[in-house]
Amino acid sequence: MMTCIQIREQLPALLDDRLATAAVRDLRAHLAVCPDCERELATLGQTLRALDAMPAPSPTPRLRARVYAAIAAEQHALRSAPAPIAPAPRPARPLWFRLIQPFAAAALLALGFILGQRQIPSPVAAPAPAAIAAPDTATQRELAELRQKMDAMSQLVGYSILQQQSRSSNERLRGVLTSAAIAQPDDKIINDLIGALALDPSANVRLNALEALYAHADLDVVRAGVLTSLPREQSPLVQISIIDFLAAARDREAAPALQKLSNNHQADLNVRAAAKRALGQL
Amino acid sequence: MFTAALEIPVDSRSFAANTFADDIVAPVDPTAPASLSDHALMLAVRDGRLDALGELFERHHGPLFGFLVKFTGHRAAAEDIAQVVFERMLKYRHTYRDDGSFTAWMYHLARRCAADHFRKANAAPYATDPSDLHDHADDRPDAGQTATTGDDHALLHTALARLDHSEREVLLLSRFQELSFAEIAGILECSVGAAKVRAHRALHSLRTVYLRLQKEPLS
Repeated sequence: MMTCIQIREQLPALLDDRLATAAVRDLRAHLAVCPDCERELATLGQTLRALDAMPAPSPTPRLRARVYAAIAAEQHALRSAPAPIAPAPRPARPLWFRLIQPFAAAALLALGFILGQRQIPSPVAAPAPAAIAAPDTATQRELAELRQKMDAMSQLVGYSILQQQSRSSNERLRGVLTSAAIAQPDDKIINDLIGALALDPSANVRLNALEALYAHADLDVVRAGVLTSLPREQSPLVQISIIDFLAAARDREAAPALQKLSNNHQADLNVRAAAKRALGQL
Repeated sequence: MFTAALEIPVDSRSFAANTFADDIVAPVDPTAPASLSDHALMLAVRDGRLDALGELFERHHGPLFGFLVKFTGHRAAAEDIAQVVFERMLKYRHTYRDDGSFTAWMYHLARRCAADHFRKANAAPYATDPSDLHDHADDRPDAGQTATTGDDHALLHTALARLDHSEREVLLLSRFQELSFAEIAGILECSVGAAKVRAHRALHSLRTVYLRLQKEPLS
């Protein structure tokens, strides 16, 4: 036979429904004949009901913004951390890359040699004009070829940099949106946004980075960054958005680039039209 | 203007003459569905997939914040502490165990963060100002049916604030967070039996203070 003290110790468990059936039966039998314990149960129940009815407040949106910013910052830190001691083997470069690599190196060397020769005036007397004309044409052709090769190489390098971005576009987009939500971004965030506009492989991420930069179009560094992104931008959709940005920012520095784009017959017609329109606005 | 670009169909990518990998339509990651368990998500975070913490935040920040508001009696402090809890999940993700319970780990971190917060503030948990509590709407859909009066809420907040903080803690953990006593014992670093005894004693204490407050007007 349990005492009232022992019974009362078990009342919270009874209210919690955490008691075995036999124990519940014994307690109920006692409560039926003990008004004091019955009153004890009633007041405990009343307290618990009041506790359960307490409002469940929600945090302000700041909490979400801060936590997502912390996640983005940690992801950034993770990416920029030094390489592990035993890094994963680099993926093999394609055969054609390995084939052109020595030639490209030799070509760069030759280019340096040729440019050096052209820059430093020869101490000997100038040869006859007819003698210059022929090698000059050949040199120009060679230079043009070298430039093409260098362009191809720089595109390849740029492409491999983008390939190293291991995060999914969703994650990168979230990073950009998180940066955009910060009311007073620091230089690093601005730089990240400009970097995303210039380098991110996803047009979606680039567009959102550009949109986030609108709020900071008054900064020289932002306008310069957006302008620098224009020539390397390949997507007409983003090109037009960049042109709109430069026009809205009234960036006169953009005029030459816009002029060049509007005259570029290889560019998309819509892009050329947008460039012309923007020139008019400037 | 730019958000419209998100809805552009895939075919329109032919418009982009030479893009690298114009994934305008976001790829679906089959390893991070919302249906993953908390434990699986936290293991993913531990393995470096930090975006999984976003899903955990969405699932748990509400109850965690509710616990912290009731525990501290201050919304601003609760929000600060909740933020630190998620930051520490990132920082200490490598300590999450294979056999862990995410919710128990979260509240384990939460009580540490709360202790640190009050230590930094050089003060014991704030006493609740009941007048501060009437401003908060009850967010639950059935609030109209279940809510007692604002005075009752204020009385209960005051009663909670008058409990010893370890009593308040065990009571809130056992009542609101759907934790087993085994998990609560893990959080409080005591035996299961001790956790039960503390929870029951805390309820008795709360009842005593609450009934006493009901008989005296709020000052």
